[in-house]
Amino acid sequence: MRRLIGHDQIGDENELNRILSREDEILPSSGFAVSVMDAVRREAAAPPPIPFPWKSAMAGLVVGGLAMGLVLVAGIFVLVQSGREATTAHFSMPLPSTLPPMFNGGVEAAAIWTVLALLLALISVKLSMRLAFGRA
Amino acid sequence: MSAIDDQTDVERVVAGDISAFEGIVRRWQGPLINLAYRFCHDRGRAEEMAQEVFLRTYRSLRQWRKDAVFSTWLFALATNLYRSELRRIPAWTVPLEVIAEPVDARPSDGGLEDHDRDLAVRRAVGVLPAKYREALILFYFHDMDVASAARSLGLPEGTVKARLSRGREMLRSKLPQLLAVPRLKEA
Repeated sequence: MRRLIGHDQIGDENELNRILSREDEILPSSGFAVSVMDAVRREAAAPPPIPFPWKSAMAGLVVGGLAMGLVLVAGIFVLVQSGREATTAHFSMPLPSTLPPMFNGGVEAAAIWTVLALLLALISVKLSMRLAFGRA
Repeated sequence: MSAIDDQTDVERVVAGDISAFEGIVRRWQGPLINLAYRFCHDRGRAEEMAQEVFLRTYRSLRQWRKDAVFSTWLFALATNLYRSELRRIPAWTVPLEVIAEPVDARPSDGGLEDHDRDLAVRRAVGVLPAKYREALILFYFHDMDVASAARSLGLPEGTVKARLSRGREMLRSKLPQLLAVPRLKEA
């Protein structure tokens, strides 16, 4: 037998609670635990992730930082110099003279800078190789 | 479910006995799958998400500081993962505005069938904005315990209460026709 129990409203908190508390329960499939344990065992058997080689990288980062610093200082120097010369010469100075004196020292100075650049490149390559292939 | 069993199993797993993890899986597979199901309403996806929770649990067992019971930590981890998964690939839903209420909420016998009404309400919950939906899901999953829902969501209890209240309000406003329906019940 059915009886009218009144104008219950789902807006009523109790009614909402009743509806939403009665969510259907599902059962895990029969092989779920086994498949999770398989995945866990695979995870445990896998070699641990290779940690980032901070020690080796640090040398490279320091050298890279120094090189960046040098380039930055040289760049600022060039800008300041060219700005100063531009104001005196009303922007009519030729480009080579805007370079700092260290770049205008002739063949010997150029050779020194070239050697330094090559040395820096060699160090970068060596460090990269060391990082890529370990200590070999 | 015993907190002592959980702690014992965790200690064994951390000491290197992987098989002890099976105890944790067997104890918590039901709740974790059901919680996932409430988020996505897709059985297969619920199991996939629950499996991912167990894997993450295994990886981070050492991070469980025993200041909270294991289940609290586990549900917080699961809730976090389910929420991000659902943000990444949302469950199939339709906008709240297009959920059709029954044209006449009263069937021929004079009352709306409970099943249809319950379904309409659950669908409406499924399309609420995430923060209200998540608060409602967790609140009812934890048997209407605000504190547990707040711990799982990593939110203050006051925030959860406010979201529950706003979520209910939105449900009421979106399903007005169901509010004034006389209900018949088996005597």
